[in-house]
Amino acid sequence: MASPRIIVVGGGLAGLSSVIKIAEAGGSVDLFSIVPVKRSHSVCAQGGINAAKNLKGEGDTTWQHFDDSIYGGDFLANQTPVKAMCENAPAVIDLLDRMGVPFNRTPEGLLDFRRFGGTLYHRTAFAGATTGQQLLYALDEQVRRFESEGKVKKYEGWEFLSAIIDSKGVARGITAMNLRTMELRAFPADAVILATGGVGALFGKSTNSVVCTGSAQSAVFQQGAYYANGEFIQVHPTAIPGEDKLRLMSESARGEGGRVWVPRKAGDKRVFSQIPESERWYFLEEWYPKYGNLVPRDVATRAIFKAVYEYGLGIDGQPMVYLDLSHIDRETLDRKLGGILEIYEKFVGDDPHEVPMKIFPGMHYTMGGLWVDFNQMTNIPGLFAVGECEYQYHGANRLGANSLMSCIHGGFITGPIVMKYAKSVDAVEGDGGAAAELARQAEINKALISNQGTENPFKLWRELGQTMTEHATVIRYNKGLQQADQKIMELMDRYKSVNLSDKSQWANTSFAFARQLKNMLELSRVVVQGAFLRDESRGAHYKPDFPDRNDEKFLKTTKARFTGEVEGPSFEFEEVDTQFITPRPRRYDAAK
Amino acid sequence: MATANHPAAPKLSTGVQPLRAAKGSSFLWRKLHSLLGIIPIGAFLVEHLLSNFEALKGPAAYAAQVKFLNSLPLVRVLEWTFIFLPIAYHAIYGLYIWFRGKSNIVYYPWAGNWMYLAQRWTGLVAFLYIGYHVATQRFLGVSLPENPGASFHKVQAELSNPVILAFYVIAMIAICWHFAYGIWLFAAKWGITPGVKSRKRFGYLCAAFGLALAIMGLAGIWAFVSPQYKNAPENVQVTTLVEPGR
Amino acid sequence: MATKTVTLEIKRQASPDSPAVWEKFELEWRPGMNVISAMMEIAANPVTVDGRETTPISYDSNCLEEICGSCAMRINGKARMACSALVDNLEQPIKVEPLSKFPLVRDLQVDRSVLFENLKAVQAWVPIDGTYDLGPGPRVFPAQQEVSYPLSNCISCTCCMEVCPQFNEATGFVGAATIAQVKLFNNHPTGRVLAEERLRALAGDGGVQECGFAQNCVEVCPKQIPLTDAISDISRDVLFQKAKDLIRS
Repeated sequence: MASPRIIVVGGGLAGLSSVIKIAEAGGSVDLFSIVPVKRSHSVCAQGGINAAKNLKGEGDTTWQHFDDSIYGGDFLANQTPVKAMCENAPAVIDLLDRMGVPFNRTPEGLLDFRRFGGTLYHRTAFAGATTGQQLLYALDEQVRRFESEGKVKKYEGWEFLSAIIDSKGVARGITAMNLRTMELRAFPADAVILATGGVGALFGKSTNSVVCTGSAQSAVFQQGAYYANGEFIQVHPTAIPGEDKLRLMSESARGEGGRVWVPRKAGDKRVFSQIPESERWYFLEEWYPKYGNLVPRDVATRAIFKAVYEYGLGIDGQPMVYLDLSHIDRETLDRKLGGILEIYEKFVGDDPHEVPMKIFPGMHYTMGGLWVDFNQMTNIPGLFAVGECEYQYHGANRLGANSLMSCIHGGFITGPIVMKYAKSVDAVEGDGGAAAELARQAEINKALISNQGTENPFKLWRELGQTMTEHATVIRYNKGLQQADQKIMELMDRYKSVNLSDKSQWANTSFAFARQLKNMLELSRVVVQGAFLRDESRGAHYKPDFPDRNDEKFLKTTKARFTGEVEGPSFEFEEVDTQFITPRPRRYDAAK
Repeated sequence: MATANHPAAPKLSTGVQPLRAAKGSSFLWRKLHSLLGIIPIGAFLVEHLLSNFEALKGPAAYAAQVKFLNSLPLVRVLEWTFIFLPIAYHAIYGLYIWFRGKSNIVYYPWAGNWMYLAQRWTGLVAFLYIGYHVATQRFLGVSLPENPGASFHKVQAELSNPVILAFYVIAMIAICWHFAYGIWLFAAKWGITPGVKSRKRFGYLCAAFGLALAIMGLAGIWAFVSPQYKNAPENVQVTTLVEPGR
Repeated sequence: MATKTVTLEIKRQASPDSPAVWEKFELEWRPGMNVISAMMEIAANPVTVDGRETTPISYDSNCLEEICGSCAMRINGKARMACSALVDNLEQPIKVEPLSKFPLVRDLQVDRSVLFENLKAVQAWVPIDGTYDLGPGPRVFPAQQEVSYPLSNCISCTCCMEVCPQFNEATGFVGAATIAQVKLFNNHPTGRVLAEERLRALAGDGGVQECGFAQNCVEVCPKQIPLTDAISDISRDVLFQKAKDLIRS
């Protein structure tokens, strides 16, 4: 039998680690990525990667890691896969180390570990402030090695459009579009792995990269795949708002004495230096006298949101608050925060030694994603999902430094599973539906390019982002979520009269974007409606009207299914696997 | 594979080709170019300027020096293998290097980039000058190997033309610059100075050396145009011993 | 008060074989604007300064944090990352052009795959036995890690190649980025096993010898990678390797 042909879509950590395992096991891989894989969003991760290696004599165990992860995720994650991840983590770190990741070292030449949020142990391996970049490069290099041996063929600059699903409902390949020649093509395969990352673009601006649109997930969702826990979106409290995106400002800025404030007067036009101390409102210090500016991430996030949206006190009427370090002397700042202050200066142009930084919580991570079973397979046989685009490792909130591990571990286990699947799957009948699917995609393209209307897709996207950010990030009210859903429906309607100013058939970026936008709109409804249905507060999902966790009703996975109806997706709820750790209240102000 | 109808796509230009790993011999030729610049060409330059310095002692001393050099065993063989051929190779391959480079000083007016450009222009000046100099002084007119006594006068006659004199001065400076920076480049590119600091320190050393060489070279020129030896005799009696002074 | 504006002149080319034209845009100034956000603005309203409708600009971008290496272009003549090119720090009109040394795709998009081919040619990877669990990797002391880490920060933006006078079609020079990667892998305890092959590869046509040491690479590198140090070190290693091969063969 010929070696199984596997398609992997996405060249971040999850995709590349799948590719490595498949190529090593003798499979042939077609690797699809919008950008050259080395430029995938995984490069952005800064902090580190968790593994209970217990190299600091603290008695850390994989069980502790498991417990921290489940607890951090507010018990919404299925425990079996999370347990497996935590148990596999030390071996993954060893492997990455062997691949040459330049992890920071102890004087003895061993891996160094740092402490991260949500744990009491030094469990996070790191490579300077660019761990994600270093990990991605190590995997990229291994894949390049396989590529030079002919085991992997890269399709960089191709965008996934849809899965090819045969008459029995089995995935038999994909259709994809070449973003340079705009050529549409069907690629048959024995199995397909999606590793397409998060959905930051649903929120307009986020800390995610440009390609993190969720378009691929949405496409297969619209083909019948379940989308799970879509309402769980992690927001980072201190992102730097930019005209083009949000960039992370490390939590250490608050740790080193940064104070968060807004002018007391709404719409105060004065520059910060002309606002006297008495007219500055240090709302975190006032609301949380005990923790002050160092309240946990979610609390800080909600407070900042409240100050801006409920009190209307954002700087200059914009959704921003000050994070002030200018009262600390230059030398101390340089010693403790040098690198991160340089980043701020580079991208904002202001010197945080002199000028308070402007920050705002920003959409950061997608906990939800394609529903998969414990074998990483979606409900469409032959279609697998791995990494941030699936839902199963982070529950209601992701533990810091667990994302990199979940991606790599996920990829490493998925590779062999997919090989096994591909060897046992029945032979495809005919073309498996490839021609029909290709024709469907060609039809969509043709309709889009010849559409006569007045709407600009980039403008529609901005409106989507604004409404999603306002209603579906940090603080959620059912009324607001309903408004958001209405707005999305309006946008979907306006999308029908989208008019591309660029109708060419060569490297037409607005064309590709317009296709993604359609998928973003569909997926946004999953997020908004999922949030609407979940009348509780759990992890990153917070409703002031339902401030407590409700295990009785909502210790369940949300599963959305595409219907094509005006009402949007249909929802069902699935029991969570809690066989190892019994759910208990999650609080970070006391011992757990 | 099924493909939807698609118009013929435009072709990209080929661009810069990837590394021809372990193929070809350009490494050898390029390193030879680099090495020859130091030895023997650089070494010969130093010798030549030292010899010129003898001219400060007058026509007789200069003639003695010329005679001494021409009395070396196998001098014609030495001249060709260690001077003419290496210089010719260094010059021609240098031009080849220049033509394949693409200066962008307009956009990137940085020190190293200026030096890169200067190395090419000084090389060209040196090439033109050496061609002219060798032709006129070695092969045309009175043959100095046979008449060392005529050497001072021959050079002096040449330098009496102010245009030629200016050419000599400019070339002297260019050559010394080219050699001094060439040493620096050699150290950098042969991995002798792999650190920023070591390159900087060595840079000062090379600059000082280049300056000293240039001063010495210009002093040599001065000997021929200074009032002291004005109207030197066409031929002087040469003893193999170098006279101390006059 | 008249609103403050930003003027951009963008060199556009619809396809590799169409003529290049300059288009001028005037946008409302906003605080914190960079060249990417300006182009996003143009995408939402693609109209030139003289009111003519045009198309959104094609350019590569992804992370917008100067870590993915996508958005390298020439801004006011100089190669740099567009995401960190703040409008306030640039002379106006801001002239934006594609990188000049790579095959043009469209507008500001170019094909930089030559770098990835070069990385293949020098086997820029650690040849591990397999991905099964073989325990921890070799010990690496902090001093060694501190040499490797900066080299491993290379984002493949190709700015060092763009600004290099020697990187062009005539020389086919490999460029500083690849040479620095050779140093990185030759320094790794396991990566070293391919050191000789990498050095021989770099002695091929277009190899390290083509460097003219103009040092533009190290000036332009957005990650401050010690590229000239790497070139110097690797040049020596290549030379020794060639000498060794000559004696042994």
